[in-house]
Amino acid sequence: MAIQLNDVRFAYPEAPNDCVLNIKSWSVSDQEHVFVHGPSGGGKSTLLNLLSGMLDANAGQVNVLGQRLDSMGARQRDHFRANHIGYIFQQFNLVPYIDAIDNIQLAHQFSNQQSLSDEIKSLLSSFHIPQSEWHKPVGRLSIGQQQRIAIARAMINKPELLIADEPTSSLDHNNRDNFMSELMAMVSEHRVTLLFVSHDMSLANYFGRTDAFSEINTSGEHN
Amino acid sequence: MFFRLAVKSLLNRKGSIMLTIMAMAVSIFVLLGVEHIRGQSKQSFNSTVSGADLIVGARTGSMNLLLYSVFRMGSPTNNIDWQTYQNISANPKVAWAIPISLGDSHKGFRVMGTTTDYFTYFSYGKKRQLSFSKGKPFEQVFDVVLGAQVAKKLNYTLGANIILAHGLGKTSFSMHDQSPFKVVGILAPTGTPVDQTVHVSLQGIEAVHIDWQQIANMSGGAVSQKQIQALELELEPKTITAFMLGLTSRMNTFRVQRDINNYSNEPLTAILPGVALAELWQMMGLLENTLRLISGLILVAALLGLSAMMLASIRERKYEIHLLRVIGAPPWFLFFLVELEALLVSFVSMLVGITGLYLSLLIAGDVLSTDFGMHIGLNILSFNNVLFLLLVAGSTVIAAAIPSFMAYKSASIGR
Repeated sequence: MAIQLNDVRFAYPEAPNDCVLNIKSWSVSDQEHVFVHGPSGGGKSTLLNLLSGMLDANAGQVNVLGQRLDSMGARQRDHFRANHIGYIFQQFNLVPYIDAIDNIQLAHQFSNQQSLSDEIKSLLSSFHIPQSEWHKPVGRLSIGQQQRIAIARAMINKPELLIADEPTSSLDHNNRDNFMSELMAMVSEHRVTLLFVSHDMSLANYFGRTDAFSEINTSGEHN
Repeated sequence: MFFRLAVKSLLNRKGSIMLTIMAMAVSIFVLLGVEHIRGQSKQSFNSTVSGADLIVGARTGSMNLLLYSVFRMGSPTNNIDWQTYQNISANPKVAWAIPISLGDSHKGFRVMGTTTDYFTYFSYGKKRQLSFSKGKPFEQVFDVVLGAQVAKKLNYTLGANIILAHGLGKTSFSMHDQSPFKVVGILAPTGTPVDQTVHVSLQGIEAVHIDWQQIANMSGGAVSQKQIQALELELEPKTITAFMLGLTSRMNTFRVQRDINNYSNEPLTAILPGVALAELWQMMGLLENTLRLISGLILVAALLGLSAMMLASIRERKYEIHLLRVIGAPPWFLFFLVELEALLVSFVSMLVGITGLYLSLLIAGDVLSTDFGMHIGLNILSFNNVLFLLLVAGSTVIAAAIPSFMAYKSASIGR
């Protein structure tokens, strides 16, 4: 199993009685491509932060790629995230004032793996980023290009799990289709488990499995 | 990579960073400038007189004697008898003596009567002797040797005829405009009050004061060589203002000082110039510390500005911090990133401040030495100033701790 959650509860420390997540049982198998849809503000990002180890669950088992995140320390989780999980957001995926190569290099820096700049360059080429754009601060590139570099950045450490949090929301229709086909090709090629979260149901046809967030998280029903 | 990220992050915020650097650079400029000029002026102050073992004048306070004999400031309380000078300088423990006779001026510069021994024995700084940039010591009654600044300010060259006035004002009522003094020598700059002094022989001083116009009139306007020689005999000084002594052995200094202080014919005071200089400088200690305090406070203000600027940037960089966390940066990475940025700002400020100070001293050096008689060296990085720079770096780390901790904290929450 790539992801296995059992009896997971989470509330932010500022509002300990307001249970944001309450998940009885939910799992994703290896190399599965899962689309999770639901309205914004429903706790989707919180779930993703739990899975990446940015947040720590109050109770329950969080099993990601065969490791128990809930029993790890903060430093171990940072390390685990750098080495095993790729992450793409809706926006602010890149440090705007450094160039594409540095952005990818930076992501690489926190992992244990050895890689060459050749690898970065071939990644950028495979995402159709022209060589002339490699050394510009990414803040000056188009949003479409930035999101494609974000995939490259998320893939540089060869993660087993890729988490995408509304990555297409800031793209127009054309860019969105390009982005999706490049993303899907990339995850298939590298045999990566993909967890894709969005409110845009029209993206569901790219995926083999579609879950409604409201079915995963039962916190709303109990409180 | 860490370093590159910090540099590029700073470049990305050029505007506010530039202003912060300016503020820090100005404060470092002031801090180092005050310290440098303080050190330099102390050095030049302490080196105004170095060869003399004792300075002797009429009974007075040691400060007063030092001020009028060495710095040509204030007025002597009383003169001493020429016979007294001769008695004391005849003491076998005395190697040399330089008589000083003050009280006259030339266009605002003090005129000092002395003997040619002055050019042989007087020394300043690290035992440096007076040297002539032009001409030679005075030989005759109406010969004049100018300090470097006097010559420069009044535009005098060798052979110029000048008029000496009785009294100290620039426009004295009793102008002795018949005394035809002639410039025979100009001293090299020393950075001491010597530069602002007009030197004549003791006989010259006497000549200013006697009514020698009659002699001139008798010989039909022109003064013959013979008359001048006759005059010299007549011009034996009756009194002098003070004198400097060099002893054959330093071991005898206190003994000779006691003997002079107990001199029975006339009340005298003998001082050790080094001790008196140190005492005088100590009186300026309060001013020194005030200047240091002010420059320190300016630095604190600049550092607070740096801290505030960094703190504001943390809020701006919320997404960036979150992103760095997601790609695996531990919280301490963000703490040190902000600290490194602050240190970089501080180092650039130091460079700008030091360069600015160096250039200012280079440009202002000429004005300072001709108008204020201050010789300021260009070696800014003294031990003290390097210590100050390290202190600035240390304070930067402390001042940046608050924004760095905020970055660390916002990283830990992870939302």
